[in-house]
Amino acid sequence: MSSLLTGIFDFSREHKKAVSAAVLLLVILIPLLPRNPFYQDLIILVFFWATLASAWNLLGGLAGQISLGHAAFFGIGAYTSTILYLKFGLSPWFGMLAGAGLSILVALVVGLPCFRLTSHFFALATLAFAEVLRLLASYLRDLTNGGVGLLIPRHVGFKNFIFEGKLPYAYIILAMLLGVFFVADFLKKSQFGYCLVALREDQHAAESLAVNTTRCKVVTLVISVFFTSLAGTFYAQYYAFIDPDIVFTSQISIELALLCIIGGIGTVFGPVVGACFMIPLDVLLRGWLGGVFSGLNFVIYGLVLICAVRYFPIGIFGWLKKISNKYIQEPVCALPPDINFAAVPAYSKPSPRPKNTGETPLIKVISISKRFGGLQAVKDLSFSIYEGEILGLIGPNGAGKTTVFNLISGFISPDSGTIHFGGKDITSLGIPHRFCRQGIGRTFQIVKPFQSMTVLENVMVGVFSRVRDVSVAREEALRIIERIHLSPHVSTQPCQLTLANRKRLELGRALATGPRLLLLDEVMAGLNPKETEDIIAVIRSLSDEGVTIFLIEHVMKAVMALSDRITVINNGMKIVDGLPEEIARDKRVIDAYLGEQCDAATA
Amino acid sequence: MLEIIIQLVINGLLLGGIYALLSIGLTMIFGVLEIINFAHGEFLMISMYVTFWLFHLMNIDPYLSLIIIIPLFFAFGVLVEQVIIKPLLNDPPLNQIFATIGLGLVFQNLALLFFKADFRTVKTSYSSANFFLGDLIVSVPRLIAFIVAIALIASLLLFLKNTFTGKAIRAVAQQRRAAMLMGINVHRTYSIAFGIGIACVGAAGAILIPLFFVFPTVGSLFVLIAFVVVILGGYNSLVGSLVAGLIIGVIEGFSGFYISPHLKEVVYFVMFIFILIFRPTGLLGRR
Repeated sequence: MSSLLTGIFDFSREHKKAVSAAVLLLVILIPLLPRNPFYQDLIILVFFWATLASAWNLLGGLAGQISLGHAAFFGIGAYTSTILYLKFGLSPWFGMLAGAGLSILVALVVGLPCFRLTSHFFALATLAFAEVLRLLASYLRDLTNGGVGLLIPRHVGFKNFIFEGKLPYAYIILAMLLGVFFVADFLKKSQFGYCLVALREDQHAAESLAVNTTRCKVVTLVISVFFTSLAGTFYAQYYAFIDPDIVFTSQISIELALLCIIGGIGTVFGPVVGACFMIPLDVLLRGWLGGVFSGLNFVIYGLVLICAVRYFPIGIFGWLKKISNKYIQEPVCALPPDINFAAVPAYSKPSPRPKNTGETPLIKVISISKRFGGLQAVKDLSFSIYEGEILGLIGPNGAGKTTVFNLISGFISPDSGTIHFGGKDITSLGIPHRFCRQGIGRTFQIVKPFQSMTVLENVMVGVFSRVRDVSVAREEALRIIERIHLSPHVSTQPCQLTLANRKRLELGRALATGPRLLLLDEVMAGLNPKETEDIIAVIRSLSDEGVTIFLIEHVMKAVMALSDRITVINNGMKIVDGLPEEIARDKRVIDAYLGEQCDAATA
Repeated sequence: MLEIIIQLVINGLLLGGIYALLSIGLTMIFGVLEIINFAHGEFLMISMYVTFWLFHLMNIDPYLSLIIIIPLFFAFGVLVEQVIIKPLLNDPPLNQIFATIGLGLVFQNLALLFFKADFRTVKTSYSSANFFLGDLIVSVPRLIAFIVAIALIASLLLFLKNTFTGKAIRAVAQQRRAAMLMGINVHRTYSIAFGIGIACVGAAGAILIPLFFVFPTVGSLFVLIAFVVVILGGYNSLVGSLVAGLIIGVIEGFSGFYISPHLKEVVYFVMFIFILIFRPTGLLGRR
């Protein structure tokens, strides 16, 4: 039985390309099949909506930036090419590109400030934007002919983008669909795709792993807007009529999201599946309900949308995948069979150094302060960490430890003071991913795994900060997973891991960025003694390889055992700094932890 | 010249009171449940229709109908929260966003089915009444609307400040988990907050109908204003929404006079983008 399954699996691996090519050929033949214009029109509509939905899915599904304003770019595409054609006689083929260029420009101007917003407000801002363009298009009568709309005369000719019969249109829109489909497929499988998913799942964690989240969003926005705009021009040419309420209506944007959700949001096939399913249904519905109940079809869409997000969020494609996974078990380890471990370059480690001999500190923090409203979280704090050292940071709850980490990993910037890393002033780098690129890796006290990714993929995101190639990154990630003893769980999703394993994953992911300085925020909290022991061993071995470690920890035994030096802070200020044994005896430290009265009891 | 400016300020403030009431509903829901009610404009539209029909069929004055509208919409809000919002509270934003969008789509198109795209309004005896303050004109229905809106907002603020339920709502808005640990029934508080939010927008619809037309897509005109007000007011501050509502009203007065009434939405949006760039926490927002 198992050999049979492997047989199937091998078959699909070897012949995947051939199968894809055959499917592609079939798709290309589809428009030739029907003679009836009704069906030809239906095919064009399916391709058209699949193109738009795929473009929307790049931004809304993959990158998780839910736009309700894609109608804006659709409309810009339609209006730009049409106006250029009607007023200046410019061929819509060029107008299409001009429209796409304008759309991208507008998207950048409006999109950049909007990317600061959380998802609900991003959706809101984009919705408002499309609405405003609709009003502008109605208002600027000289340019757009206002609410009356623009009619494109049917002068047949390639140059005019007007054809006799529907077949040429079918192939033009199919070409657009294939374009956006393959771009999506390529992105999804590339390093960039992993970063997008990471960004969608947890922006802070992604930033801490050197993912330039702003760049990711902008690139995705540009691609998504480009195809949306092309489809806008196509619409104008196919129907030869546009008006503001048709091309700028927010119902377009909502329908795109609906198609993606029904088909399977965030997957490459989902939007296509959604369009294949919903568009014929839509045509049928409109036929049945006709003019009598105009609006009823949208009532039904609304209900479908409400139910889909609640009961069927994985969509048709996700559901098909789930079923097929039941029959074809993927191998537990996603390792390609032909990896030769010996050939994989060793984990890039700095040459080991004797401890505590570095004269120049790796990181030197000079009197940083940070205030949150009325709370002085960190005050005038200075410390240095030398290359290869393990420095423990302890202090009572609320002492400002995590704020210190946030300051030196770029998540917040200090009100005053400077941070030097490797001899360079990094105080004003500003953005976490730049700190990570400098060589500062961190974990989060409350673990932030990327929930929809497997353990392997989580770690791969970290590796991508220094490796671009996906297969190399996979191998490197597998090596790191082995180091943190998570090998049995490579294809597990984080929600199925125990706390100890999630903490390991957090550590492994930070480690994957190849840091020179690793910030560990309570990686042992909540672990049992055996698990603690295990993590201590991992940290020791990292230190032996020359990684400098800065750790916050409440498990005193571990801090004492691991640290070369310990810094104690309370109320954001340094109390004392010294060797573990000294700290343990220091009266000020005991006071800070236990309160002063306890002196009598311990004496 | 000065008279024109004062006149525009008066008109704007009177309008702004209604905007504030409308937006406070949205702020309330966002502040407590951390979701944006994308169907907010449609609730406004429904309330306008209900008030319209109450007037037409039973001859109930729009302002009097508040006695019916407020409890009715509170109950409506609680129902919607229980059935649609509650199951999605721990879901990713995508699901929450599209649940309320779906709801708005349903409401809007049901209205289209039942009432077609006709414009309807309520003509009361005082609809076009004005009185003069020197050279300044004050529209009576607008003044009444303003007073009612401000009175409702004031009572809401007092309710939040002084009653146990009000304090529970504020506690949940600040720290969901801690409130839960203090023995507050968080889910009940959500329902109440959503109900209050919808009651606010319901009341806004009732006092708006003597001044404006109702049609199935009227919500999308006003909801954009509400969104800008919420952002200007600092996302989750009710007082912020009040002030921002008044400001937006005044801006609308001026832009309508000096630019064009057709472009007021464009002015809002430009403001919206500028707020995002220069003051992302809103006018009265804190972080």
